[in-house]
Amino acid sequence: MREIAIISGKGGTGKTTLALSIIPYFKELVIADCDVDAPDMKILLSQKQTEKNLFYGLQIPTFDYDRCIDCKLCHQSCAFNAISESIELIPGKCEGCNFCEYLCPVNAITMENHAIGHLNKHQTAYGPMVDAKLFPGQESSGKLVSEVRDKAIELAKDTHRETIIIDGSPGVACNVISTITGVDEVLVVTEPTMSGIHDLKRVIDLIKIFNIPIHVIVNKATINEAKTEEIKEYCQENNLKVLLEIPFDQTIVNDISRKVIPSLGESTFFKSKDWKAFVKHLI
Amino acid sequence: MKIAILSGKGGTGKTTLATNLFTYLEDYALIDTDIEEPNSHLFLDFTIQDKTPVYKDYPVVDPNRCTLCGKCGEHCNFNAIIVTAKKVIVSEDLCHSCGFCKAVCPEKAITYAKKSIGDIYHTKTSSEKDFSYGLLNTGEVSGVVLVETLKSETFAMPNVLIDCPPGAACTTAASIEGADKAIIVSEPTPFGVSDMDIVVELLNNAGIDFGVVINKAGSADTEIYDYLEKNHIPLYGEILYKASRARHYSKGELLIYHDEAFKENIKTIAAHVLEGEHHA
Repeated sequence: MREIAIISGKGGTGKTTLALSIIPYFKELVIADCDVDAPDMKILLSQKQTEKNLFYGLQIPTFDYDRCIDCKLCHQSCAFNAISESIELIPGKCEGCNFCEYLCPVNAITMENHAIGHLNKHQTAYGPMVDAKLFPGQESSGKLVSEVRDKAIELAKDTHRETIIIDGSPGVACNVISTITGVDEVLVVTEPTMSGIHDLKRVIDLIKIFNIPIHVIVNKATINEAKTEEIKEYCQENNLKVLLEIPFDQTIVNDISRKVIPSLGESTFFKSKDWKAFVKHLI
Repeated sequence: MKIAILSGKGGTGKTTLATNLFTYLEDYALIDTDIEEPNSHLFLDFTIQDKTPVYKDYPVVDPNRCTLCGKCGEHCNFNAIIVTAKKVIVSEDLCHSCGFCKAVCPEKAITYAKKSIGDIYHTKTSSEKDFSYGLLNTGEVSGVVLVETLKSETFAMPNVLIDCPPGAACTTAASIEGADKAIIVSEPTPFGVSDMDIVVELLNNAGIDFGVVINKAGSADTEIYDYLEKNHIPLYGEILYKASRARHYSKGELLIYHDEAFKENIKTIAAHVLEGEHHA
């Protein structure tokens, strides 16, 4: 099985646009949308949502106020300041360590499963898709990302599919780490802007820790040619390859607005030699 | 007033709005709480006054006291401690610093050591304004502590703009905590609309008053306008997409110095956000 993750560091560089555009070229595919804060693949791909389940990412305390003697031990000992002085849980703060339950001298605390989001399956024209939607402000989003990948792997095994395309989230912390841990290769989508380059360097540093093969794609390459050159130089110095440059093209944006997969849409770029060579290299 | 600038979807223009609004408003400080990928500092001219590391605690096991009883590993809910037949293995990255292992160790073999997870920079801009940002070390799992520290060190100032991370997970929730008002920056694409929904819910849950700025406006896609109308969300302003604007942005330039129409946009947005402020 081959897992390909698409990440970017900076948001809005075109992760989802690229992920969508390569999908039609793969056979025997499972799709995993790991951007659990902002899952967008379904907007263009989902023909039917086939499953929707709550995902319980952690346990949080509930308080039995008839038993509570107001000793405030739980409030004082919580490392996450998740229990108020009046012994109420502050939403979104609890990280589910269960320490308070252990500490309570009168057994007034019981831990209960806490849903942090929905885990969904969809039918698409290119294979089954798994995605998730985090509830706003929740902790443990990395666990939801891992669950999306686990479910995608399960589906791939069950249906004998070889490739999993993973659309990731911006950033470099938990969600991205969960997205790339153990994948076979990473496509990094960047843009020729100061922000894009700054964030590219940080995300490359992260991927290097995991020792995963990296391909760099410069999207909106024509916005600033000098910056595109700068990216290429940086990649060369770091033994990385810029595999593809995609020009800025308003028709790609328009295709997304029409909910058409860009590589199947109006933009002439996807008929170019560069694109065809890239696809051939990839599949 | 504390004003949070957020977006749901990445790359819609949070930092563009935050840095230009900061430059326009004379009596506001700016903090960048997107500690995973901060960008505000790329657009501003400043001198670093202070750089302070932020630490997280992780357990260290004294092998001379440890009897390999396994209690610490049993109680750790984050798989950060594994007790083998010969030794205790601690994963600093997985540890949430909850203190459970230390409390259950019958031999008092566990102490906590500190590890730097990132840095906070306090700076003064060339016009003597306060600008602070945090930078999480690559490889670190969570930056919530960094966001909370950054805010606790700057929130004594009366007026603060907060350039938030994308998404709506824990660091975004920590970023908007205590804000009086928020601006969502979105774009007229199906993704922009879909991703705005989660931050709208986050702000509603937190009881924070907000409006929307539509960036890269001018396309034929009207879905976002329908969404705002349907949900009774005020529109604070629209910023047109122009190739020249993308180019200034790419070079790390503040648009307010290069584009009169954009400056007018910023004035309008500021007026909407600050409306009623001086009468309050």
